[in-house]
Amino acid sequence: MTTTQDFDNDFENKWCPGCGNFGILDSMKKSFSNLGLAPKDVLLISGIGQAAKTPHFLKCNMFHTLHGRALAVATGAKIANHDLTIVVNSGDGDCYGEGGNHFMNAIRRNIDITLLVHNNQVYGLTQGQASPTSKMGFVTKVQKHGVIAEPFNPLTIALNLGAGFVARGFSNNREHTRQLIEDGIKHKGFSLIDIVQPCPTYNKISTHGWYKQRVEDLYENNYVPDDLENALAMAQEWDEKIPIGVYYQKEGPTFTDRIKKLTEGTLIDKKYDAAKLDGYLSVS
Amino acid sequence: MIKLKNDIVVIIGGEAGQGIQTVGDLLATVCWKMGLYITVVNDFESRIRGGHSFVQLRISDQPNSAPSDKVHILAALNSKTVELHKGDLSEGGLVLVDGEESTAAGVTAIPFSKIAREVGGKIMTNTVVAGAIMGLLGTPFDIFEELLVKKFGKKSPEILDNNITAAKRGFESIGENSFKNGFTWEKKIPLGLLLTGNKAVALGAVAGDCRFSAFYPMSPGTGIMNALVALTDDFPLVVEQVEDEIAAVNMILGAAYSGVRSMTATSGGGFSLMVEGLGLAGITETPILIVNAQRPGPATGLPTRTGQPDLQFTIHASQDEFPRFVFAPGTPAEAFDLTVKSLHLADKYQVPVVLLTDQYLTDSLFTLDRPLKVPDSIDRFIITDEDLDNPESYERYAFTESGVSPRVLPCNGNALCVASGNEHTPDGHLNEDADNRKRMMDKRNAKLPAMQKEMSAPSGYFEDSDILLVGWGSTQGAIREAVDLLRERGQEVGCLNFTDMWPFPVEHSQRLLGRTKRFIMVEQNSSSQLGLLIREQTGLSFDGTVLKYDGRPFFPIEIVEETLAIIG
Ligand SMILES: Cc1ncc(C[n+]2csc(CCOP(=O)(O)OP(=O)(O)O)c2C)c(N)n1
Ligand SMILES: [Mg+2]
Repeated sequence: MTTTQDFDNDFENKWCPGCGNFGILDSMKKSFSNLGLAPKDVLLISGIGQAAKTPHFLKCNMFHTLHGRALAVATGAKIANHDLTIVVNSGDGDCYGEGGNHFMNAIRRNIDITLLVHNNQVYGLTQGQASPTSKMGFVTKVQKHGVIAEPFNPLTIALNLGAGFVARGFSNNREHTRQLIEDGIKHKGFSLIDIVQPCPTYNKISTHGWYKQRVEDLYENNYVPDDLENALAMAQEWDEKIPIGVYYQKEGPTFTDRIKKLTEGTLIDKKYDAAKLDGYLSVS
Repeated sequence: MIKLKNDIVVIIGGEAGQGIQTVGDLLATVCWKMGLYITVVNDFESRIRGGHSFVQLRISDQPNSAPSDKVHILAALNSKTVELHKGDLSEGGLVLVDGEESTAAGVTAIPFSKIAREVGGKIMTNTVVAGAIMGLLGTPFDIFEELLVKKFGKKSPEILDNNITAAKRGFESIGENSFKNGFTWEKKIPLGLLLTGNKAVALGAVAGDCRFSAFYPMSPGTGIMNALVALTDDFPLVVEQVEDEIAAVNMILGAAYSGVRSMTATSGGGFSLMVEGLGLAGITETPILIVNAQRPGPATGLPTRTGQPDLQFTIHASQDEFPRFVFAPGTPAEAFDLTVKSLHLADKYQVPVVLLTDQYLTDSLFTLDRPLKVPDSIDRFIITDEDLDNPESYERYAFTESGVSPRVLPCNGNALCVASGNEHTPDGHLNEDADNRKRMMDKRNAKLPAMQKEMSAPSGYFEDSDILLVGWGSTQGAIREAVDLLRERGQEVGCLNFTDMWPFPVEHSQRLLGRTKRFIMVEQNSSSQLGLLIREQTGLSFDGTVLKYDGRPFFPIEIVEETLAIIG
């Protein structure tokens, strides 16, 4: 058995007080230990941003990659060794902006990894510019007359692309987020958990209190996530209420299941056999 | 050097989509089986149908790997071919056209498509043409028949029979039209395979235990991926077409981090998109292989043409500095060996490697003059908990004298694999401390002296001469042949052909170039990128340049003429 303390890493954290990332970090540790995973069993892969720094604050295997590229790196890591438990930490800018193409294609592949998007609707690390999920009209130093594009809705896109696990969490509901992460890891296939979070420094609109008034727990309501229409309807909600929980779940073959030679073991475990080349290299 | 005794050039031209390549492949295979050396250069536009395209087949009893400027047999499947290539015909050269009656002097009409229709359909035209050319060359028919059985035997007996009839009818169609430059065919066992550069890279990849490849199609890099895909059924190899080149490079980074040898292949535009990933491999010390099959640029440039425009770009690509290897094979045999070596060195030094090929080398078909050798075993340079006194305190980027830190794989024991593209402390966690930054840069750069020792000297040919032609990569064959031609004309000329480009082989270059009186750069770019590199790295300056950057490969004679103009 492992405990959350097993995942503690003594690394200086410079997130602002009140940042939603603290809650997500805590939920991650709890879900890993609840699942009986040890630090050696977990691989965290992240892009770039405040959210993407998360792996440094846990003890486990990790690869902190490039802005937008975490899902591509994670896909390669999973193909090479599909026994790995891979969790990706990304931000709304990292995943839906710079990495948007990888986001869509990871869903298409149904690669079995768990994606946590720390969605604060703003670029935290680069000091407060709008992100793809910022609301129309959101004012920043750069968007001084407000954002003039419609926000990107990750949940409707994921649902429309056929994602098999689409969920939304709220960073400050730590127990709830822990449950989501556990369910996401247990889900065989790609899992999207978009976790809305406050950014006390750069997002004065969706604050802790703002979310608290709106979130509705689907677990508590015993919602059964098997209706795509329902899920799509919920995914449109935001201003009045924000359902949190698993919107939709459906298992199917994952990407590595579809690669025939990987059904008999991992790529990394296969044996090098130079003799097989003889037929190709012999001159006669 | 034994002079090329027989040196016959055949051009088959027509519209893209007429199956010209098939004719070239059939002829090449027959010649190869007879122990002859061939170079087959495909010249096609980036269109599936329409547009002029041709195959040049150079057949000789000695190794050759350059296209030739003179043509002995011109098989024209459209009139444009005659227009375009007639001027290149040598003494006694023949033009074959599809038809009943010759329309001009020196033009032989053979009803290729009529014969084809009679024996089974227009699709047989290629086989008829191949038969006619072999008839002219005096090829033993049974060798051709054997090949057809191998190629079509698995299809229906009808298809096979039709092809054999088509071949025979083509073979006999040349009648009295005997060809002055015909061969005396003696069957010899070939010394090496008949291989395109892209197939050589693919075979080198599996020989070097590459297990994962992600790519996005871009000519001429696509050919390498096609060749790699063809091997996936027999080897522990997964090849996947992905959303873009950025995904490709980052996926192979992930797979390499996880522990399998990984590569991608692209051309300049795709390589540009991969550059940030190349830097990630540099700072995270993750071994990856990128093949940049060069074509002229910038931007889309000339998609189906050749060039050597990316040497300086490739050795410098990415912001800031980190060690990397760059290799540029000159022949398919070198492409095979250097792919194996690249995968090995990437692991050994935990660095990215770029293999620079070009459209000429990747798409052309060559007879190798030696067998290819597979490594006996693969050393992965990976440790596990058992190799560590205290796995819990393992550090991925521990400072070492060599700069190479012992590497573990993720989730492979209690030693954790912590990697970061941010500057990091030895434990892999990000850090902006000034002292640590300097030490980490120095640690990575500490690999360079040993990496440089891995670099081979450029291969030489009459390298003691007073005048040396100096080139790199796929121009090797053309330059060597130019040396032969210049020596025939009484010029004391030799050459050096670089394959190991970076870390630059400084000492080898100083030794080999320092003792010659003059050296002339022969390159397929507009600024003499290797010449500039040599000057920067050794202080030695070139005395002239022969540069071709029109997208076409060098003809040896072009090098000869320009060299003569320089040396007087
Ligand atoms: C190629 C590249 N472009 C831009 C950046 C700068 N950059 C780093 S993080 C970031 C946005 C981060 O926003 P988000 O993903 O929402 O993360 P947050 O900081 O809000 O958690 C940007 C623009 C970069 N590191 N690399
Ligand atoms: Mg953000």
